Amino acid sequence: MIVDFLLIPAVIVIIGGFILPLLPQNLRSSAFLVFPLIALATLWQLPDGYTLTLPFGSYELVPIYVDSLSKIFGTIFAMIAVIGGIYAFHIKDLGQQSSALVYAGGALGVTFAGDYFTLYIFWELMAVSSAYLIWARRTKETDETGLRYLLVHIFGGGLLLGGILWHTSETGSILIESLPDVYSFSSVLILLGVAVNSAIPPLHAWLADAYPKATVTGAVFMSAFTTKSAVYVLIRIFPGWDILIWLGVAMALYGVVYAVLANDIRQILAYHIISQVGYMVAGVGIGTEMALNGTTAHAFSHILYKSLLFMGAGAVIYSTGKSKLTELGGFASKMKAVVFLYMIGAFSISGFPLFNGFISKSMVVSSAGEAHLEWVMLLLILASVGTFLHTGLKLPYFTWFGESKSKITVKPVPFNMLIAMGFGAFFCTLFGVAPGLLYQYLPYPVDYEPYTVYHLVEMTQILVFTFIGFWILRKKLEGDAKLALDTDWFYRRPASFVRKVFVDNVDRTFGVADDAILSTTRFLTGKFKNPMVWLNPFTDQSNEASRYSPGMEVVMSFIMFSFLILSLFYLL
Amino acid sequence: MKTWHWISLGVLTVISLIVEFTMLADYDSHWWNAVPAFYIIWGFLSCVVIIYVSKWLGKLFIFRSEQYYDR
Repeated sequence: MIVDFLLIPAVIVIIGGFILPLLPQNLRSSAFLVFPLIALATLWQLPDGYTLTLPFGSYELVPIYVDSLSKIFGTIFAMIAVIGGIYAFHIKDLGQQSSALVYAGGALGVTFAGDYFTLYIFWELMAVSSAYLIWARRTKETDETGLRYLLVHIFGGGLLLGGILWHTSETGSILIESLPDVYSFSSVLILLGVAVNSAIPPLHAWLADAYPKATVTGAVFMSAFTTKSAVYVLIRIFPGWDILIWLGVAMALYGVVYAVLANDIRQILAYHIISQVGYMVAGVGIGTEMALNGTTAHAFSHILYKSLLFMGAGAVIYSTGKSKLTELGGFASKMKAVVFLYMIGAFSISGFPLFNGFISKSMVVSSAGEAHLEWVMLLLILASVGTFLHTGLKLPYFTWFGESKSKITVKPVPFNMLIAMGFGAFFCTLFGVAPGLLYQYLPYPVDYEPYTVYHLVEMTQILVFTFIGFWILRKKLEGDAKLALDTDWFYRRPASFVRKVFVDNVDRTFGVADDAILSTTRFLTGKFKNPMVWLNPFTDQSNEASRYSPGMEVVMSFIMFSFLILSLFYLL
Repeated sequence: MKTWHWISLGVLTVISLIVEFTMLADYDSHWWNAVPAFYIIWGFLSCVVIIYVSKWLGKLFIFRSEQYYDR
């Protein structure tokens, strides 16, 4: 029985996070890879419909529930934990390694959770463990960013928990089931909680704030787990909610607009996570079998190419120490392998034929067409133009190819980073060339062929003319050494005011009260130390008990004795 | 960009147009299929619109100095 619980994929990986500190340092990086691999092997042994239950008060927890949807998400989470582990192989920071494993375990736990409480526990575990991947850089800036990240996620978790409790009291059930498209308090609270993690504007600012500041290796994990596990939960609970269609489209465009304005390379990628997750959210909103398949496939592809892109950007930061477009440029020849592998990721996200973005993004877009949402379709295509424009053209052009904007020394990149990027690039291409490999594991039967003449013509024309547009206007796209305000303004700008009112003022009040009490005490103890001073002005001012006169001692002893006798009488 | 880059892009465009007007001549699942070379127009326009609108919004109210939050 207990063995069954130990074989839950999430538990395996989380236990790994706790075993890691017990191992000698030179084994940790290898051990890091073992746990997600075991989890991967285990989850493929579990048959569809496999479930375990655990009594919890008057409820039954379902810590694991396996079906084709959770299996495909679990697979990609475990895969990316392995790839990320290879990328971070050279890291000697135990804190980062352990928290990354616990983070991966949290994502797996959310994926296989069959009830809301299990979901909530793993949800919060993800938030806490991932915050360390920001703090691990140990600068003042990242300390603050990490705290903001954690606070936002705790807020989101609170909304989720509120919704869960409300839902449970309404229905009496804690099992995760899709909710009907009706706005009740419980469903809206749950939706808001999940929306924080899916980075749906205006609740998205934590993502663009935190990911660029995470460690080089930490950002790779972060780009994969938090938003995609939230997308998974959306597919589970909110399929066919109409509002998600337009929220998704808005996200897709919002990310694109901000990616024009961003200057930090990982911030550009972060805004494109928002944009890409927009496709998935829209897919969930459309809610047809094809759309949900497309969302699942796109989440799978997205994790692969986005982590590859983050690995490429991370390699730039690792080897140059710079992360801004306004400081980079002109050193492509010094890191050819990284540029090559990054470009595979960029081709994938842009939806080039033969890469995995093409086979999944087109599925979401086509499902919008089939549901006769033609403007949704056109706007999603517009967003994909933006994706190619930034991730595929602007970022690599100004990072590696354009003229150099500052003195750059290029440190060699560890070989393990390149191997990890190689794995990512391999899978991006593999699923692009052979989409059937992915399609057969999607939750619903797939009746969709990405490689039609129509799609190929469409993508060729769009990509070629996006490129031409970029080439003509590329001067406009140069990075601006500026900060782009986002909705985090609402909690960052008033921070000093809030601090003044709720921290500094409260502190000051306590301080004043503290001083007053202490000085009163000091005054009184001074006065009562030697009452003889009041009774006899001529007595010795320095009061030491040993110098009291015997007469005085007798009087005091008598008083004490009477007091004892009286209190004894009183008590009896 | 070397000349052969531009030539290959041109060739790709021409092939896509030929295919569009021959194999896809009767294709009609969306209203825009009636517009010839629609995806060329849409791709190019999107690119221009994204760049100009974003930059305009940036200048309008989004851009601040990098030390904005540190002050």
